[in-house]
Amino acid sequence: MKFLAVCSSGLGSSFMIHMNIDKVLKELGVTGVDVDHTDVGAVARGDADAFFVGRDLEEATNTLDNVVVLNSIIDLGELRTKVREQLEAKGIAIPEGDAA
Amino acid sequence: MLSSYLTPETTLFAEDVDGWRDAIARVSAPLLASGAIGQEYIDAMVSSIAAGGTYIDLGYGIALAHSRPENGVVRTGLSSLRVTPAVLLNDDPAHPIDLFFCLAATDPNGHLQTMMELANLLSDDELRTRLLAAHNAAEVATVINENGTTK
Repeated sequence: MKFLAVCSSGLGSSFMIHMNIDKVLKELGVTGVDVDHTDVGAVARGDADAFFVGRDLEEATNTLDNVVVLNSIIDLGELRTKVREQLEAKGIAIPEGDAA
Repeated sequence: MLSSYLTPETTLFAEDVDGWRDAIARVSAPLLASGAIGQEYIDAMVSSIAAGGTYIDLGYGIALAHSRPENGVVRTGLSSLRVTPAVLLNDDPAHPIDLFFCLAATDPNGHLQTMMELANLLSDDELRTRLLAAHNAAEVATVINENGTTK
């Protein structure tokens, strides 16, 4: 299972999303998900099971499948909900079902 | 560590900034002065924003201005600028910005600890609110230090 955070430069917003996904997964007690970040020019369909992008990259990433668009890069509540949805869609068990 | 980058010299405040280009010039000035970046890095950031690069808008009125390492980064650096009133990024009413950060990174992974701290700081509702309310570098430093102790 791989989640990839993507932004234009591959080291600003995407790095922050990557850090926050790590944090959410840790909160949820989920292991075994590989998380990384990259730039939009280097990413291709099939590179990950889900791609997390800021709303400004929604159009630029429409050739990828399973793109998760974030309204804010730093809204942990939004990310938590969307990471959980991805995990559930992939059938990954979430140990901390009600974690804050 | 975040506190080693965001110092009194790199934590700026300004009133009545003359648009987003002025904000980018001001927030990057300490990094240019210290030699962490060249002028071409500032030009690259401005070009990418002007080309529609509002992706640096993180949400909550905070922007992380940055470009690629090859566009003039000499060494890793970070600076901030709190503007009053807010500035419209790329003159776009959908992107009002109160707090600009300027990130200079030498490679995509080398600043992991700093990005982890920054992500934690900006994603924490209470710390982010206090950061936006800070009036001077000392108040920002206090928030950053607390961030370091919470995780």
